[in-house]
Amino acid sequence: MKTLKKLRSSDKLVTLVWVVGLIIIWELCAFQVEAVKRTPENVLPHIWQIIVSIFNTKPISSGRTAVQIVLTSAGSTLLRAGYGFLIGMAVGFALALFMKLSGLIEKIVFPYLMLIQMIPILGMAPIVLAITHDIGTSRVVIAAILTFYPVSTNTLAGFKAVEKEKLDLMYLCAASKTQVYIKTLIPSAIPYFFTGLKISAPMAITASILVDTLQGDGGLGCMLSQSLKHAMSIYVFWQIVFLSAIVGVLSTWLMGVIEKRISPQKRFRKQEEV
Amino acid sequence: MKTESPFLRKINKVGTVLYPLLFGVLIFALLQTGTLQKLMGVDEFVLPRPLNIGTIISGSLPKVMLNVKATLIASLGGLTLGSLFGYLIAVIATVFPKWGAGGLSIVAAFNAIPIVALAPVITNWTKDVSSNAEVRSMVAKIIVVMLMCTATMSINAYRGLTELKPFSKDLLESYAARKVIIFTKLRLPNSLPYVFTALRVSVPLSVISALVSEYFAEFIIGVGRQIRENIVLAQYATAWAYITVACLIGVTLYALLILLESILLRHRS
Repeated sequence: MKTLKKLRSSDKLVTLVWVVGLIIIWELCAFQVEAVKRTPENVLPHIWQIIVSIFNTKPISSGRTAVQIVLTSAGSTLLRAGYGFLIGMAVGFALALFMKLSGLIEKIVFPYLMLIQMIPILGMAPIVLAITHDIGTSRVVIAAILTFYPVSTNTLAGFKAVEKEKLDLMYLCAASKTQVYIKTLIPSAIPYFFTGLKISAPMAITASILVDTLQGDGGLGCMLSQSLKHAMSIYVFWQIVFLSAIVGVLSTWLMGVIEKRISPQKRFRKQEEV
Repeated sequence: MKTESPFLRKINKVGTVLYPLLFGVLIFALLQTGTLQKLMGVDEFVLPRPLNIGTIISGSLPKVMLNVKATLIASLGGLTLGSLFGYLIAVIATVFPKWGAGGLSIVAAFNAIPIVALAPVITNWTKDVSSNAEVRSMVAKIIVVMLMCTATMSINAYRGLTELKPFSKDLLESYAARKVIIFTKLRLPNSLPYVFTALRVSVPLSVISALVSEYFAEFIIGVGRQIRENIVLAQYATAWAYITVACLIGVTLYALLILLESILLRHRS
């Protein structure tokens, strides 16, 4: 009885009810579409139809099943998104560090960092492809650009948000500049750094998929547009839509998990709770 | 902290404008003389000189404006609807905290869904809205932008509506203020700065979403679509012209937002 009450008040149940509610709405709409449309699977298939298509072993294109196609293309797309994400992360952090170290660099770079946020980088995807001539490289480049500026601005904000008392204390301890950075500034900027990562992780994946749609090279985006043009089963399209949505959500969640692992403050709080 | 003389401070202030400006001029000069293109190993055909891009924009201004109009309608329409919808969700979540907050975490999850997955689906769903391809593509674009902007607004507005100053709610309750009064006199004004925080994220986002949804739209119009169409035709200079225009749209909208914020929030801080 007690566990039931606990379960009822838990956040997980609330989320679960919402998810189930959304699935019910989807299914109701799917029944409606099925009754009205000639090709309901193009507009809104049932969720179970999509799930069945995942386990369908019938090959649909060059001897591969739908799921094989989706997974292999997801591999190549996500790998490049991952590379770009890592590069962007490193560059973003380094830039924030340089800006903190040198006022001159901050003055020069910061306005452009603000400016770049307002520039639709995704719109520039085709031109990056034209410059690099290679779809793989342009995926990495775009993902890196999209990752680097949220990371950079957030980390810099983290460096600036350090309490003055902490710095004073370090000064009193006669800490060297390196020690101040390693022991005070960088640890306190970590939560901000992860805020940046949480923003940019789904963006890197979006970028990678979008670049795929520009050229046929077997990425997720490429398969997505192929499937939309009915070159292969439309269920490939639906699988990709769900896969990219799930991966996008998971990427943000993953950043949160890593943050909890790394950041000392949160780990400490967790121990207290236990 | 060392104290600075007014003169030094003035030099510092000039520097904040001067250094970035010098950097910008340097890049512009390098591009215009074709040095940067050579350094990057890129053809001038692919990365044209800035003044050439300017000539193209001014040369085909009516056509550019037509596309700008389409993009602006999609982004601003979606931004307005999405922000209103997001705020509404935040209000509902504030009124029903337990179930609302759970719903909000679902909305936050929507935020992570790649727009490339959303745009084609919405295009499919809006096929019956109108027999006119121009109208139904516009509806699809606005819905995509709206969905992208909803999450940002609802999360920030919810924080604004619930993270009140300590004891202010208790004070109003001690006056026996009704919930409606607490809402209009305390929660609503408190949420305003948070609304602007959300808008700072969602204004650039709305432009980007509009551009990307144009890629997948049926009807060929809009700045984003022109970038892509021109690349396909290998007219890189024209594509760059549209990229420049897209950047200008983004920067202008953001500047307008900052202006609006400074007017509306001038009595704060």
